[in-house]
Amino acid sequence: MSPRKKRLVIIGNGMATCRLLDELLERDALHRYEIAVFGAERGGAYNRILLSKVLGGDDPDAIVTKPPSWYTDHGVQLHDGVSVRRLDTAAKIVETEDGQSARYDLAVFATGSQPLVPPLDGMTNGDGELRPGVFIYRTLDDCLKMRAHARAGDNAVVLGGGLLGLEAAKVLSDAGLHVTVVHAGRTLMNVQLDELGGEMLERQIEAYGIFVRTGRTLEAVLGDSFVDGVRLDDDKTLAADMLVLACGVRPRVDVARASDLPINKGIIVNDTLATEVPGVYAIGECAEHAGRTYGIVTPAWEQAAILAEVLTGANPQARYRGSKVYTRLKVAGIDVASMGRIDPELDSDEVIQVVETRRGAYRKLVVRGRALVGAMLVGNTAAAADLVRIFDRGDPLPDDPLEALCPGASSGGDERADRMVCNCNKVSEGRLREAISCGAASVEALCLATRAGTGCGSCRTELAQLLARHPPPPTRIAAAG
Amino acid sequence: MLPQPLPTLRAPDPIATRTHCPYCAFQCGMLVTGTDGDPRTEVKADPEFPVNRGQMCIKGFTAGDLIDHPARLTAPKLRARDGRMVPASWDAALDFVAERLLRLRAAHGPAALAAFGSGALTNEKAYLLGKFVRVALGSPNIDYNGRYCMASAAAGQNKAFGVDRGLPFPIEDIARTKVLLLWGGNCALTMPPLMQWIAEQQSGGKLIVVDPRRTETARLADLHLQLTPGSDLALACGLLHLAIDERLCDLDYIASRTQGFDEVRRAVMQVHPAHVERLTGVSIDDQLRTVRLLAAEESGMLLSGRGPEQQSKGVDTVLAFTNLMLALGKVGKPASGYGCLTGQGNGQGGREHGQKADQLPGYRMIENLEDREALARVWGIDPATLPGKGKSAYELLDALGPEGGIRALLVFGSNVAVASPNARNIERKLGSLDLLVVCDAFENETSATAHAILPVLQWAEEAGTMTNLEGRVILRQPARAAPAGARSDLEILCALAERLGHGERFPSSTPEVVFDELRRATAGGRADYSGITYDKIRRAQWIFWPCPSEDHPGTPRLFEERFQFPDGRARFHVVRHRPAAELPDAAYPLYFTTGRYKEHYNSGAQTRRVSALVDAQPAPRVQVHPRLASDLGVASGGALLVESRRGSVTFGVEVSADVRTDTLFAPFHWGGKLSANILTNPALDPQSRMPEFKVCAVRARAVALPPSLPGDGGTA
Repeated sequence: MSPRKKRLVIIGNGMATCRLLDELLERDALHRYEIAVFGAERGGAYNRILLSKVLGGDDPDAIVTKPPSWYTDHGVQLHDGVSVRRLDTAAKIVETEDGQSARYDLAVFATGSQPLVPPLDGMTNGDGELRPGVFIYRTLDDCLKMRAHARAGDNAVVLGGGLLGLEAAKVLSDAGLHVTVVHAGRTLMNVQLDELGGEMLERQIEAYGIFVRTGRTLEAVLGDSFVDGVRLDDDKTLAADMLVLACGVRPRVDVARASDLPINKGIIVNDTLATEVPGVYAIGECAEHAGRTYGIVTPAWEQAAILAEVLTGANPQARYRGSKVYTRLKVAGIDVASMGRIDPELDSDEVIQVVETRRGAYRKLVVRGRALVGAMLVGNTAAAADLVRIFDRGDPLPDDPLEALCPGASSGGDERADRMVCNCNKVSEGRLREAISCGAASVEALCLATRAGTGCGSCRTELAQLLARHPPPPTRIAAAG
Repeated sequence: MLPQPLPTLRAPDPIATRTHCPYCAFQCGMLVTGTDGDPRTEVKADPEFPVNRGQMCIKGFTAGDLIDHPARLTAPKLRARDGRMVPASWDAALDFVAERLLRLRAAHGPAALAAFGSGALTNEKAYLLGKFVRVALGSPNIDYNGRYCMASAAAGQNKAFGVDRGLPFPIEDIARTKVLLLWGGNCALTMPPLMQWIAEQQSGGKLIVVDPRRTETARLADLHLQLTPGSDLALACGLLHLAIDERLCDLDYIASRTQGFDEVRRAVMQVHPAHVERLTGVSIDDQLRTVRLLAAEESGMLLSGRGPEQQSKGVDTVLAFTNLMLALGKVGKPASGYGCLTGQGNGQGGREHGQKADQLPGYRMIENLEDREALARVWGIDPATLPGKGKSAYELLDALGPEGGIRALLVFGSNVAVASPNARNIERKLGSLDLLVVCDAFENETSATAHAILPVLQWAEEAGTMTNLEGRVILRQPARAAPAGARSDLEILCALAERLGHGERFPSSTPEVVFDELRRATAGGRADYSGITYDKIRRAQWIFWPCPSEDHPGTPRLFEERFQFPDGRARFHVVRHRPAAELPDAAYPLYFTTGRYKEHYNSGAQTRRVSALVDAQPAPRVQVHPRLASDLGVASGGALLVESRRGSVTFGVEVSADVRTDTLFAPFHWGGKLSANILTNPALDPQSRMPEFKVCAVRARAVALPPSLPGDGGTA
C-alpha cells in the first residue's frame, strides 16, 4: 500500500512554474504528489520573453507554453485567475483572495516580479487605476491592450532603457509610432553595459529611428483623462499618446510577506531552494539566494531543475550554487551580448577594449589573472559564444586575450602539410600543394603528377577541395597550359 | 545516375567475382579475383555498382589481406587445464560447448545462457542466431553490437515515421539535395566513397556540417557548427525555434501529413536562441544561417552519424531532427528528409531480423502478442515457450558472471572487450564466465579469455545477403574457397542446435535455404523481405525492402505518400535538452569524445591485422588544441595521461586546432592499454539503451612517452 500522495501547491504560473512542472513530470513527480497551480492571470502559462512578438501582432497563442488543456491532460490542477492571499504555514492552508482555502503539504512560491510604477503626478486616475494611455509592459494582457491602443503616427514614450524597454520601443517604432525612450541612467542598458557600450548602443538605436533621452526621469504624466504628454525633469514636455512603463521590477513578495516568510529583497532560500519554514520553497525572480535576486529566466530554470531533483528524490543532493548571468539583445541591426562584471573590481583586474568607432562596434573583456570575469560586446557579437563558454567553464584565456575575441582565427597548431591525403600511394598534402603550385590545375593533372587518387580513388574529392582552397598561380597555369 | 568508372580502372577479369566489402554499411561493390592455386586475393572496386561507382577506401582496397592472412584461424581451439589454447577437432569443440551449455542451463536456468551478435553478420546469420537463442537455448538474452551503433536512430525513426530504414531514399538522392545538413558524422574518413555524392551535391548546393571537431568532412563545408559535445539536442530544438520564429515552417505539410506539432511548437518556443548559443557554443547568427539555408530551398536533407546518436539522450536528439525536418515539410519530398548513416556492414539487416533483445525477425517486437504468434507459427513452436525481452548490449555484458547471473556467452563477429564503454569492467566480467565461446576468423581481445574459439568463414568465402545503409538488399557471393578447418557461423549454429536436441528446427545451414525461411518469417512484418529471392537479387543486383511479394519491385523511397502508421501521418515528439550523464567539473574539467581513423574499422579486430593500415595508422593519438596543449605542457610527439572516473589511458599526442579547447578526442580502434573505451561512460539512453560513447569528463596531464608508443609516427 503506497502512502497517500502529498499535495504540492505552486503559487504563480509564470515561466519558473512552467519549467518546474516540466522538470517535475519528467521525474514522475505525479506518483508522489498531487500538484495544484494558482495563477493570478487567466489562462495557462506563456513565455514572457516573447511578449514583444504579441505586441508586434502575433497571435497570443504563439507564446502560450501551456494552455489550460495541458494541465488537464497531464493531471495537474490549474486555478487560473485566482490570486493567493496568504499561506497559513502552521495549519498548512492556502488562502485565496476569493475566500477559499485549500490544504497543502509543500508549497513553492514562484510569484515572479512586479513592475515598478513611479508615483508621479498624473500617473493614476482618482480611483488609483493607471491613467488611460499608460501601460505596464509585463503581461500578455498589457500587450494586447497596448497593441489595441497603438496607431501609426502616434507618439509613444517608453520609460526605461533596459532590455525590455528597448524591445518595446523597437516594436512600437516598427508599427510606425514616434518613439522616445526616457532612461534615468546615464547610458542605456547600464546594468549590462558600461558607459561607452551604452553610448554605442544609443547610436544604433537612434540610427534605427528611435529617440533616446538618457539621464532623465519623468516629473509628471500630463492630460485630462487620457495621457497626452509627459514632463521630464528638465521641464521639457513631450507629447505622448501612450506611455509604456519598463523601468524595472522588484521581486513580488506580498503573498510571502503576508505568510510571514523571511524576506530581504526577495524570499530568502538556501541551496535547496527551501525557505526556513518547513515545506515552503521559492524559485525564480521572487527568490533571493545568497543575497542575490535575478531578473532573467535562465536562473529560474536552473532553480526549477534543482528543486525538482530534490523534491522528487531523483537527486536529493542536488544544490543550487547561484547562476552566472548572460544577457543578449538581438533585434534588427542591434546586437549586444554581456556577461559577468562590466567594470573591473580589483586593482589587479585587467581591462581589454577594442573600439571601432566607424563601425560602431565595441568589445571589452574584464580579466583577472587568466580568468574572464566579464565581457561585453556591442555591434559585433561573433565572439559571444566562445566567450560565454570560457566564462561559464572558468577556462583560462589565451596568453593574448585578444585571440578570444577573434573566433575562427587560426590559433597555430601543427602544420598539416605532412598529412597523408592519398593513403594508397602515400602522397602528403604538402606534396600535393607543391604539385598545384607547379601548375597541376585539375584533379587529373594532380593524379598524373603525384599518383594520388590512382589507387582506391577515395581521395579524389579531397584533391578537388585542395585545388579549390589553394588554387595554382595563374602564371603557372598559363605556362602549364 | 550512370556509373562513372575512373580512368585508371581496368575492365574486370573474366574470373572476377562480384561481391561486397567486409566493412561498413556502404557495402561497396567489389571484384575479387584469385584462384585456388594463387595465394593472392586481389580486390578491385566494382565500377558498375551504383553506390560506390568504382571507388573504395583503403580498408576495402586492402581487404584481400584478411583472406590470405597468416594469423587466420583454421582449427577450433579449446582452453586446456594449464590455461593454454590448444587445437581441437570440430566434434570435440562442439561437444564441449554443447555439453557445457546444457550443464549450465540445468544448473542456472536458460536465462544464464546468452549470445552477442554483430552488424557484420549476414541477414541469414543474424536471423538464425536469434532463432538459436530463443528456440535452442530458450534464453531471452541476445543482443548485438548494433546496439552501440544504430539503436538511437532506429528508435527515433520508428517513433517518428513508424519504420526504421537508415536512409529512406537511395544514395543518389544525396547528390540532388540543395542543402545537406550532415550532423555528427565524419564520412570523409569513415565512408570515403560516399564523398563523391557529396562532391556532386556541393556543385550546386550547400553543405553544413555539425561536429565538435573541425574534421576532414567539416573542412569541406560551407558552414561548420563546432558545437559543445553533448549539446546536439539543444541545437536541434533551437533550430526549430528559429524556423517557427522566422515563419519558415510548411504549415500545409504539417496539417496534412503529421500530428503533434502544436505541443512541440509550445515546447521549442521556450528554447531561446541566446540560451542555445550558450549551451551549444553555436552563435545565434550561425543558428539563423543554418535554418534559413535549410528552409530556403525546395530540397533539404539532414543526415546524422554517431555523434548525436551515441549519447544518453540519443533518441530524443534524433526526434529533434525528425521534428525539424517534418516542420520544414521536407520528409518524403524529392531528395529531402532525414536519414542516418548506418555504420556497420549489415547494421541495418542485423537490427531487422531478431538479434536485438526486444525484436523478432521482420522488425517484429518480441512483446507484441501478434508478432510472437506469427513467429511461433513459422518456427513451429508454442508462442508461450518464446522468451520475452532480454537485456540490452551493455546491460547483458555487465551481467556476465556469477553476480549478474549470465554464466555462458557465445560471441559472433564482435570484439566486445574493445567496443564496449567502460571497457575494463567488461574485460573483468568476460573473465568471470563459466563458458565464453568466440566465433571469429581471428583471435582478438575478446577471445583472450575464451574457453573455446571456433574459426569461421570470411566474407569472400560464403554467400549471404546484406542490407546496406539505404535498405538495399544485396548478395555477397563466394569468391574464394574457404580454408580447410573453418566453418560458417550457420553450420556452427545448426551443429550446436542438434547437440542441444533441436536439430529438426535447424535443418539447413545453406544460406539460401535459411534466407527462404527468413522470408517467411518477415512476411507481413515492418521489414518485409518475403518477395526477395537470391535469384531476384542475382538478376537485379539489389532489391530495396519492403518487398512483400515476388512480383513486387521493392521500395527505393519511403514516405512519398504516407508514413508507416495506421493513419499514414508522421509523429512529432516533445523533446527537451538535458545535460550529458557526466559533465566536466573541477576534478575532471575536460570533455572527452571518441571517433575513427580512415584506416581502421570499429574495434580494429580486422584492420589491425592489415599491414598497410597499421603502417599508416599504428596507434591512437589524442587530439589536443594548441592552447590546451600549452597549458598542459605537452607538444605533438609527447604523451598525455588521460583519466576518467573509470580508468586511464596514456596516448601519444597530436596537437591540432581542429579540436575545441575544452575537448580531447581519441579514436577507439585499439584494445588493451590503448582502449579509448576504458574512459567512456556506460550511461544508457533510457529508450534505445545506447551507451554515451560521445561525451564524458576527463582530466589530463603530460607524462613521458612510454617506449611501447610510437611518437608522432602516424601520418594523421
